[in-house]
Amino acid sequence: MTYKVLVVDDEAPVRELFRDLLKKEKCTVKCVPSAENALYLIEKEDFDIVLLDIKLSGMSGLEALKKIKGLKSDQIVIMITGFGYDEELIAKSREYGCSGYIGKNMPISQIISSFKLFAKTAQERKKLKK
Amino acid sequence: MSPFTEEKEKLLFKLVDNANVLLIYFNASGNVSTCNRKVEYFAAKSREDIIGQNWLSVLYPDTNVLMKQQTFKAITDDSTKYKRPNTFEGIITDRSNNERLIFWNITPVLTESGDLEGVLLIGDDITELKESEASSKKIDETLRNIFSNIKEYALYVINLDGNITYYGMGSEMVFGWQKNEIIFKQAGILFSSEDAKTKLPYILQEVRESGQYETEIDLVKKDGQSFPVILNVTRFLDREGALTGYIFIAKDITERKKLEYQIFQTEKLAAIGQLAAGMAHEINNPLFVISGRIEMLLGQRMGRKVKESLGIINAQADRIRKLVDQLLKFSRKTQPKLEAININDTIESVLPLLSYHKLPSSTVSIEKDLARDMPTVKGDLNQLQEVFVNLLLNAYQSMPDGGKITIKTHNLQNTYAQITISDTGHGIDQKDLKNLFMPFFSTKQNGTGLGLSICYNIIKNHNGAIEVESQTNRGTTFTIKLPFA
Repeated sequence: MTYKVLVVDDEAPVRELFRDLLKKEKCTVKCVPSAENALYLIEKEDFDIVLLDIKLSGMSGLEALKKIKGLKSDQIVIMITGFGYDEELIAKSREYGCSGYIGKNMPISQIISSFKLFAKTAQERKKLKK
Repeated sequence: MSPFTEEKEKLLFKLVDNANVLLIYFNASGNVSTCNRKVEYFAAKSREDIIGQNWLSVLYPDTNVLMKQQTFKAITDDSTKYKRPNTFEGIITDRSNNERLIFWNITPVLTESGDLEGVLLIGDDITELKESEASSKKIDETLRNIFSNIKEYALYVINLDGNITYYGMGSEMVFGWQKNEIIFKQAGILFSSEDAKTKLPYILQEVRESGQYETEIDLVKKDGQSFPVILNVTRFLDREGALTGYIFIAKDITERKKLEYQIFQTEKLAAIGQLAAGMAHEINNPLFVISGRIEMLLGQRMGRKVKESLGIINAQADRIRKLVDQLLKFSRKTQPKLEAININDTIESVLPLLSYHKLPSSTVSIEKDLARDMPTVKGDLNQLQEVFVNLLLNAYQSMPDGGKITIKTHNLQNTYAQITISDTGHGIDQKDLKNLFMPFFSTKQNGTGLGLSICYNIIKNHNGAIEVESQTNRGTTFTIKLPFA
């Protein structure tokens, strides 16, 4: 299963790593550095999955999540966090409709397997709805 | 010739009549022969009306006070029967119906042949005297009660030669010396030998010059243990105002010092927590990139040497990742999820978890003594499990040659669940104990110094307390108290 993924992170090395890691998993990847850029792109293009950093300069990740969901209510969004396991942020993201979260503090193998798992479940759910 | 001239007799009569005592003389059958003015005043009757009356009916016109009468009568009868003087303290009421306490002198008066002629009663009104005596007694008692309840104060006095001459309220409690063991000993015994030589003479000199001196100093108990006090010393003067000694009031401030230290620690921990959280996030991003890049490289063809080096880099990056993870846990501000938790069950649930950790290969036995009557506590199961796992792992690691772990739970007055985890391991050095819960403080070679600080934070967030006691080469005991739901 391959996905078309949009990575939103304000740090270039992080974006590029995600691009390389996901390409290895046969995904098509586009990267943007801000929520504003992401929203612009999502309006024009369809992505299977959006990987969204929770801490962005400019519009915050949570705010962006809300806007993306407003734009396309069935858009699958996975949050990325550098804070580790933060219950409050995760609860908020869930409330706004994210499909899962990935911590940058997890081992890389676990990040990839988590991504695949979240993506798969989310897509199956999406199909079921249709 | 009679020793009294008429003039002198008149004077005597005048004195007796005006004396500020009650004076009654009654004959052998109890009828009043004469009395003075004070009796007239008390009885609100004229002398003419009193003379010939029974003495008891004069003093106690109210027949309801039979008991008072009878006691007085019995003592007077005893006095007349055995012809010896006696005294009696009793209450009579005066003309305005006020109760007055009278001290009576009962004197039998005998005829020349030795028979009873009559009885002389002289009564002194001691009401006010007794009242003031009683109230000062009461003040004394109250003061004594107050001071015996203030256990952290010691009050003692030394003379000019430095001998302890008074060793009062609270001193025994504070110093551990009994009064008879220490009285007249040199005051230096309550100081460290260094302070006795230098600080004590200085303090006394200050007191001599300015009348008073207050300082924070460490004093020494009977068992040699030193403890902090606020010491207030003043001059002890005699009636003429000459210096005869020094009054010492020592207030034991051990508890206050402990509290101050705890507050200081808590604030420090909070600051470190904030810093750690901020740093952890900043470290996570580059670390993620490093780990990710290594991971990608490892999938490619390369020489054995390069692969080996990359493996080492990867392992070290992983070490940083774990450390940052713990930092984040330590600074985790999220309040614990509060659910009803059975502490005994929690402990049972933790024991199987230990096998997931790297344990020393030594033989360690675990003994459990769990209280039967144990209400639930409010807490976060995951977090509490983490605390117990941490403490048990520490216990294991302290016993590389094997030993015993004892886990006890106890219902503390239906208020707290008390959990103690003891080991028989190598123990912790006394000097390390106070830093034990500080982040980054570790006595282990490879410790991050975060485990116990995380435990401390978790227990604190549960409104509980965690304490440690340890003796080198004997073992360590952690005591946790958690409030019941």
